[in-house]
Amino acid sequence: MIKTKNELQERRGLIDDNPLVDVAACLFLEDIADKQGASGMNNYLVSLATSLAKSMPVEEYDTWDDFIDALVNGESIISAFEEVEAITPNCAVTKKCPFTRGWQEYTKRIGEFSKIHTDVAEYYNSVYKPCVINSMCIIHQTFRNAAAERINIKGKPLKCANIAAVWEDGTRKIAPDEWLPILLEKAQITSTDLNMILRNNADVWVIYTD
Amino acid sequence: MLDVALVSLIQDMSEKAGVEGTIQYWARVGESLAKRMGKEAYMGWPSFNVALREGRTAFSIEGSVTALTDLAITDVDGDVVGYIYALETCVFNPTTVRIRYSVGELPRADRAVADEYNNSVRDTAVCNFCVIHQRFREEVSKNIAIADQQLDCIQLAARGFTGETKIADDSMKKIGINPEYVRSLLRNYACVYAIMMKGARLKGEEED
Repeated sequence: MIKTKNELQERRGLIDDNPLVDVAACLFLEDIADKQGASGMNNYLVSLATSLAKSMPVEEYDTWDDFIDALVNGESIISAFEEVEAITPNCAVTKKCPFTRGWQEYTKRIGEFSKIHTDVAEYYNSVYKPCVINSMCIIHQTFRNAAAERINIKGKPLKCANIAAVWEDGTRKIAPDEWLPILLEKAQITSTDLNMILRNNADVWVIYTD
Repeated sequence: MLDVALVSLIQDMSEKAGVEGTIQYWARVGESLAKRMGKEAYMGWPSFNVALREGRTAFSIEGSVTALTDLAITDVDGDVVGYIYALETCVFNPTTVRIRYSVGELPRADRAVADEYNNSVRDTAVCNFCVIHQRFREEVSKNIAIADQQLDCIQLAARGFTGETKIADDSMKKIGINPEYVRSLLRNYACVYAIMMKGARLKGEEED
């Protein structure tokens, strides 16, 4: 049963985190980077997101529609931290990046976001997949992939891939040209749709099973 | 999301670096946060208390803080050298609830870190995050001056998510506040601390 927007907002209001915890987490990551550089920080980000997903329960769905219902209602582990909308049966969007608040508190109380958060993204883009803007995207996308591995639909594991992300300051990261047509086809959207979606959403991702 | 992810890392960190290592990491984060927030100066206690009420001081990052102006701390000459402050909601409380709704339960390391801190540093922690924000307050108070005098922050009492309380009797005696009074404050507040002029000569210290 799909929940009303009010019900979802009420639940999300209940679980809003304290800015101190978010800012402290960013500083902890910067402390790691001071000692171990961008690659060390990247390892922590990946391990942090993976261990979070692994600490959450596995999910089994009988039909794709059941999964989509759970996804948009915030009941699936993959949408536990964000408000997700399904644009097509295979294309999901994150309405607002769950890291925005922490970043806003950081910039409000400390100042400009440390450069290491984008340096580590460059490292990730060159070593793993070229689809992240900063350290927060590494956590987010790694978590999403690790969470997808814990979800089965009709006995088949869920797969997901990021098509595009937009950060609060307008910075965009779209999948490389050679991947984009394949991802858009799987997501059942056109590149024009993608540009429209990106105006008022934070993340666009494709979800599918083989 | 970042907060929940960070908590999931505590267990991993504590297994690799030990709970002592996690305490060191957390203390460094608290110090670094305070240093990065910069210095503040106020004409007197009223302007500081107004800034606190309006959420303009570095202390305000923790959430809604009330200056208990009926609980002034006085020195041996009877001059006001500080006040008691109370934080409405524990900074870790929303994260605990978020973990309950997303993951299930807090990692064992949360308790282990708090216990180790209570045994080896100071018996004032009700959860692992107390390590960060108690240190943060101590450091941030060094960056704030009232009437050109540096401040000092003393942790007095805390109430955890499960209702467990920690009351620093020695600190209470030092500033001349009855521990039972502070205990009653914990019915309405999650964390109680004193902010006062550094080096003030207090009545409690004179008696010692």
